[in-house]
Amino acid sequence: MAVATGKIKSMGAAKSPLLGFAMFSPAILYIVLVIGLPFVMAVFYAFSDARIGSNELHFVGLENFRSIIQSPSFQKSLQNSIVFTIASQVIVMVCANILAIALEKPFRGRGLVRFLILLPWVAPVSLGTIGWKWILDSIYSVITWVLVWLHLVKPFDTPMWLGEPRLAMTSVVLVHCWRLIPFSTVILLAGRTAIPKEIPEAAAIDGAGFWRTTFQINLPMMKPIIAVALLFGTIFTFTDMTVVYILTAGGPFDSTQTLPSFAFATGITGSDLAAGAAVSVFLVPVLVLIAYLMLRMAHRAEMA
Amino acid sequence: MKDGKKGKGVSRRDFMKIAGIGGVGAGVVGPAFIFPERAAAQQKTLKILQWSHFVPAWDEWFNKTSTVEWGQKNNTTVTVDNINLVDLKTRAASEVSAKKGHDLFMFLSPPAAYENQVIDMTNVYKEVEKKHGKKIDLAHKSTYNPKTKKYFAFSDAYTPDPGNYHKEWWAEAGYPNGPDTWDDLRAGAKKIRDKNGHPCGLGLSQELDSSMAMRALLWSFGGAEQDENGNVVLNSKNTIEALKFMKALYQESETAEVFTWTPPSNNQAMLAGRVSFVANAISISRQSEREKMPIDSKIGISQALKGPVRRIAAEHVMNCYVVWEFAENKDGAQKFLIDYMDHFHDGFVAGQFYNFPCFPKTVPDLKTEISNDPRSNPPDRYKVLGNVLDWATNVGYPGYASAAIDEAFTTFVIPTMFAKVARGDETPENAAAAAHKEYQRIFDRFK
Repeated sequence: MAVATGKIKSMGAAKSPLLGFAMFSPAILYIVLVIGLPFVMAVFYAFSDARIGSNELHFVGLENFRSIIQSPSFQKSLQNSIVFTIASQVIVMVCANILAIALEKPFRGRGLVRFLILLPWVAPVSLGTIGWKWILDSIYSVITWVLVWLHLVKPFDTPMWLGEPRLAMTSVVLVHCWRLIPFSTVILLAGRTAIPKEIPEAAAIDGAGFWRTTFQINLPMMKPIIAVALLFGTIFTFTDMTVVYILTAGGPFDSTQTLPSFAFATGITGSDLAAGAAVSVFLVPVLVLIAYLMLRMAHRAEMA
Repeated sequence: MKDGKKGKGVSRRDFMKIAGIGGVGAGVVGPAFIFPERAAAQQKTLKILQWSHFVPAWDEWFNKTSTVEWGQKNNTTVTVDNINLVDLKTRAASEVSAKKGHDLFMFLSPPAAYENQVIDMTNVYKEVEKKHGKKIDLAHKSTYNPKTKKYFAFSDAYTPDPGNYHKEWWAEAGYPNGPDTWDDLRAGAKKIRDKNGHPCGLGLSQELDSSMAMRALLWSFGGAEQDENGNVVLNSKNTIEALKFMKALYQESETAEVFTWTPPSNNQAMLAGRVSFVANAISISRQSEREKMPIDSKIGISQALKGPVRRIAAEHVMNCYVVWEFAENKDGAQKFLIDYMDHFHDGFVAGQFYNFPCFPKTVPDLKTEISNDPRSNPPDRYKVLGNVLDWATNVGYPGYASAAIDEAFTTFVIPTMFAKVARGDETPENAAAAAHKEYQRIFDRFK
């Protein structure tokens, strides 16, 4: 080991700023081109009168923000984004913790179970969501078919999973959770395995039961990793439009519209690029603040 | 010696020789091999993008016959890309952003928002009118901007949006020819729903078919989004009456499935024998005929429903071809459209009467042809569409299909307004006022 380290140092890798930069540059390039540039353009458009069909731009100050705030669809989207994110994250965190506990200790077939649980995350989101759209379809829903077959609902008065506002929002939240739970489970599982075994063992010797060990030892020790999972989950949820777009396209009558799907509907299909950009960057300051607070919390917990 | 060479492989000198000969050879024949289009006497290309037609036979004719023959005559390689109709707007936006894409792009609703990115189609209209007579007003109102005096698109065809009804159930309800008025629809649909549970299928979702159906209802009751001069007039007594009607119709005869629908959903619901009535083009019965479905003989077609003020409906889809300013073959694209209209009748037949002509003289015997169609059961199923121009109108009626109307159309303000009232989440008065405000907000952004 010492020899290997010595070799690396002798190659000058650690001392060469150019090599370091070269190795970082693909990541930097990726972030700048795929995230940074579109973000800067979105901010720029949000203060302009850009339309998809227009050839010129003019600075219009806060006019786009003033205009979208008056839109009932925007107000509903903002409200839905908050509900969607909080509801999803509560469910995801609870389920991911349960799964992490269940998957921590070895048992027969654990590898297979872990693989199956990971599938929703590794499968393309669009494919998974299209599958759910068929499962929840108004005419061909397999769930509805089973309910009718069991005589639990009447054939022409079946639940419309994507047609009733509350059911539709619940469906959107649950499908999103189905996709995010594996991701959070993996993070939390890594967090659990990092807890030194001696601590829960000592607690067990002192008579601490499952609940006490979970709530007074494991969870507090996992605070930084939970914060990271929550931060990623919150950002993924706030910025996700695939699930909403494929399942309901924001319907029925905007009752599942979220800010990303509304930004797309306004900016791309509605051709109002400036208003769409204003919608999309509307929550950036709030998200930045949330990210900052969570990372600070995680850092403090780690230091403690 | 040979064996020795075999084991030796290719020497550097040999390699240089081979490379030299290869290089000269490639210089002579290379361009023809690598760029066959250059070799074929500067053969041009024409790239067309349009939707995957609801009647696949039309795509078959257009892609494999019409464009191929035109390409041969005009020394042009024509490529046609067909995409899902819901992706048209997104694709257009990306082509405009990249300033690269197809030469000819077809929208299914008036694309006024793209006016600055497309060439003026006045000359195309003029050339076609020289040969085929005047275009219908529906085409003019859908592709012309009276403020800039520019035709931002060329419309070859539109599709009627009639009623599709289940003949047996409607006959049992006392309407053997289906509903003729909106009141008939409400009364008959309720009888059917009460008797056998089958709901009415008038869409209330954020999609094309619902948008058209709700506009038909709005106009039939005397309401409108704008007046002839482009002023927002949505919040009116007539609109409120239309909203009250839809609320009653929904609560008496529909289910929440209509809030979830995408454009093919009402086709599926009708063909599955689930709903008693939908407003849609003739793609439903064309599919039942093509696939010889048992329900085929039970599907009837009715003209647009008559309301308290008028009998009117929007076109179901409006073919609007644009040529981008950045297109590589603008001349070819315009010439293609002009020549294509000479063969419009072939497409009308190949598309099984889905595409109605914007230049009536291209299909002079339209009424006779649609009244005796051997594919349909009965052969005169589509006869009611003979007077379609008496009741079909453009999005934006009674005004033009402006960019503001386009944005309101693509953000589904009208079906959202109707849906909120139908479910009882909003009063008709409040919904009309809110939708009016939203229209005004959108219109103000174009001032």
